[in-house]
Amino acid sequence: MQEFLQYLFSGLTNGAIYAVIALGFSMLYSATKLINFAQGEFVMLGALSLVSLWSGLHLPLPIAFLISVAGVSIAGILLERLAIRSVRVPHPITLVIITVGASILLRGVAMLAWGKDSHSVRSFSSHPPFDIAGATLLPQSLWILGVTAAVVAALHFFYKKTLTGKAMEACAINKRAASILGVPSERMVMLAFAMSAAVGAMAGILIAPVTMCGYDMGAMLGLKGFCAAMLGGVGSSWGAIAGGLLLGVLESLGVGFISSSLKDAIAFLLLLFILYVRPSGIFGAGEVHRF
Amino acid sequence: MNGPGTNSTAPAPPLLKVESVSKSFGGIHALRGVSFEVREGDIHAVIGPNGAGKTTLFNVITGAYNPERGMVAFEGREVQGGKIHQAASRGIARTFQNVELFGSMSVLENVLVGGHVRTKCGFPGAIFRWPWVRKEEREAVARAMELLEFAGIADIAGNRSADLPFGWQRFVEIARALASQPRLLLLDEPAAGLNGAETQRLGELMRSIRDRGITLLLVEHDMNLTMEISDRLLVLNQGAKLAEGTPREIQANEAVMEAYLGRE
Amino acid sequence: MRRIVFLIVILAVGLAVDNPYRLQLLTIVGVNTMLTLGLNMLMGYAGQISLGHAAFYGIGAYTTAILTTHAQWPPLLALPAAVLLTAVVALVVGFPTLKLTGYYLGMGTLGFGMIVYILLREWSAVTGGASGLVGIPPLAVGGFTIRPGRDYFYLVWLMVMLLFIICERVVDSRVGRALRAIHDSEKAAAAMGIDTIRAKVSVFVLSAVFAALAGFLYAHLISFISPGSFDFMMSIRLVTMVVIGGMASIWGAVLGAFILTLLPEWLHVFADYEVIIYGSILMTVMIFLPQGLTRGVLDIYERSRHKFNSARSAASQG
Repeated sequence: MQEFLQYLFSGLTNGAIYAVIALGFSMLYSATKLINFAQGEFVMLGALSLVSLWSGLHLPLPIAFLISVAGVSIAGILLERLAIRSVRVPHPITLVIITVGASILLRGVAMLAWGKDSHSVRSFSSHPPFDIAGATLLPQSLWILGVTAAVVAALHFFYKKTLTGKAMEACAINKRAASILGVPSERMVMLAFAMSAAVGAMAGILIAPVTMCGYDMGAMLGLKGFCAAMLGGVGSSWGAIAGGLLLGVLESLGVGFISSSLKDAIAFLLLLFILYVRPSGIFGAGEVHRF
Repeated sequence: MNGPGTNSTAPAPPLLKVESVSKSFGGIHALRGVSFEVREGDIHAVIGPNGAGKTTLFNVITGAYNPERGMVAFEGREVQGGKIHQAASRGIARTFQNVELFGSMSVLENVLVGGHVRTKCGFPGAIFRWPWVRKEEREAVARAMELLEFAGIADIAGNRSADLPFGWQRFVEIARALASQPRLLLLDEPAAGLNGAETQRLGELMRSIRDRGITLLLVEHDMNLTMEISDRLLVLNQGAKLAEGTPREIQANEAVMEAYLGRE
Repeated sequence: MRRIVFLIVILAVGLAVDNPYRLQLLTIVGVNTMLTLGLNMLMGYAGQISLGHAAFYGIGAYTTAILTTHAQWPPLLALPAAVLLTAVVALVVGFPTLKLTGYYLGMGTLGFGMIVYILLREWSAVTGGASGLVGIPPLAVGGFTIRPGRDYFYLVWLMVMLLFIICERVVDSRVGRALRAIHDSEKAAAAMGIDTIRAKVSVFVLSAVFAALAGFLYAHLISFISPGSFDFMMSIRLVTMVVIGGMASIWGAVLGAFILTLLPEWLHVFADYEVIIYGSILMTVMIFLPQGLTRGVLDIYERSRHKFNSARSAASQG
């Protein structure tokens, strides 16, 4: 029981991160029908910016957080302005190659900027770990779960209560109709890129204290975030959260009760499984586009 | 293939039978209980204002959509439950509202793809080029050229289809659909975007297609063309059948004039 | 005619080059060409992308390596095993993802490539782990051993030529037309009766089989393999080769393999900035010349010549 609880804690912690990354995928997908292969790199950039700003320059944490998120959002906007918008025929293969190119370009730039070594960051608060029924809960886990909840609440507010959020949803449903009604769809696409990059950066910042941060951390995190998004149904925000938590817990239980070398394979096997049995996701009511 | 009207003594069974078909998308009823029959050898037109459910009807007939209620039978066999690509081998070919040619391919190649279901060569055949494969290819090219001739576009066989003017693309698309040797040809607004001369050529082409024993079902906005060439018409309004009959009957129908054509 | 020229060039290069290092390098160019030819069928003609092609290459190489070292199989028996295993794996990965739009095959193969890499690195008992497998025997055909060097160079390039002919024939056939049709409009292709999923899965398996063949030849050429040759960057390198060569161009695939295999050998700066260079190539080519570099440059040349000619004729008339 105690063991199970321990795996559950670590699973939920990782799962919350996957959920935030999945939200980034879903957000962009629902606004643009595009899957951004560079999403994991935004996570990496967020984590490494925090390394430099907080551990390196000793800026206060909230300021380091804000600057990192803003910086990565700008990277997202640049990707949209310079690369995606210039594509004349948006065939999926073209967009996949462009975002994959962006992803390894960012990885290469990060390698030059931060070097090949991994970095670590101290936990957000220096509180000692909690003891719950014999299992340890790290304070950083609480930070992760708390910030994830805050992000979800903020996004919910944005989509349901603000005009821009509603306009974005309208764009997602019908781009042409929205633009006829005066919703500037180009600005919405740019905003979607900025927001998904920002959310990715937040995931990176949150995970930085509990992992080794290196220029190549984005690939696996991006893949797992995508897997989480698929589990919940790409395009669905609640699905992304449920999918992320589910993936985190399953992964953690798999590591605990089967084998730790299996850890990274679990996400992929789940991805393959979900593609076989239910490509619209376990929780997703939204239809996956098929021919 | 039987010519039209060869067995005119007994009432021929309908080629296509649509029976109380309903289809909705998220609460919007695109089709509500539509029933009609298409007789073999007819030119049958479906008319109705935008959003009347015409394109949805086409997608149900080809099996792309499954209706919630009702059924579609082609040559007495139910269409539903199959995959989209099976429609062509059953003998149903179609064109698209916005012309969907294979842009990077030549006109001839487009028509050859149209003949996909009438040829058999797979990967091994392509790699080893057995004698039967060469023969099949030669025959396919000859048939395709014959169709291009028939559609009056043989001289552009080698052109890249995306480079053609829109009107010609329509004719290529029709030739491509014919290459699957269909029994029923569905044309989705074939005259849209055509000029007067082209529309007239289209009308002649549709008649000669019918004369080849192929039944036509078309969705069309051009009233002059529809009234002139159709044997029967189906009028849809907001997803439901409003009227059905010969062009003359439709023109005399009060309800149609009121709801669709507008009282003049 | 072009094939005869190609054959003569291969013969001449084989005779002219004596340096064993260079011969090996040119042989590897051949192996990479086989990989690009297959990937080009998938990307250029069917319009689908594999971001884990190195995994199929790796499965081909490791299958023969394991069978010929651990189990002492003769290489010729290991070949069908490697090809068959790769084909089955490709079928399992390709079938669910190819039902969906292009993004899913990309993500699926990306994840697949990573998993295969992890498997090769972690499953030490069988794969030798990070240090890899050594002592892979040379190819032997009925008592006649093909040693790395000139003979192997010829063998690989003859295989390249064979695959080349296969590609040309497939492209110019009913199957190839169906693939191009899917690329141009999947909706219309299905309406023409093309079983689009089946066609896409078939070409995906075909390209994986090409990769398995390349892996087989690579393993017996180098006699030592390690996971590093089959990682994500290798997959990216292959995609870049296809993109440089010009998608949907068989000759372009050869060119892409040539440039990207030889350039890092000549330019050492290249190795340091490899990742950045590939990233930039992929982005700029796809943004500005989505037909691929060679095709795009040719198009621009054609257009400017056309303009120049019409300008000149206008000038001479005026």
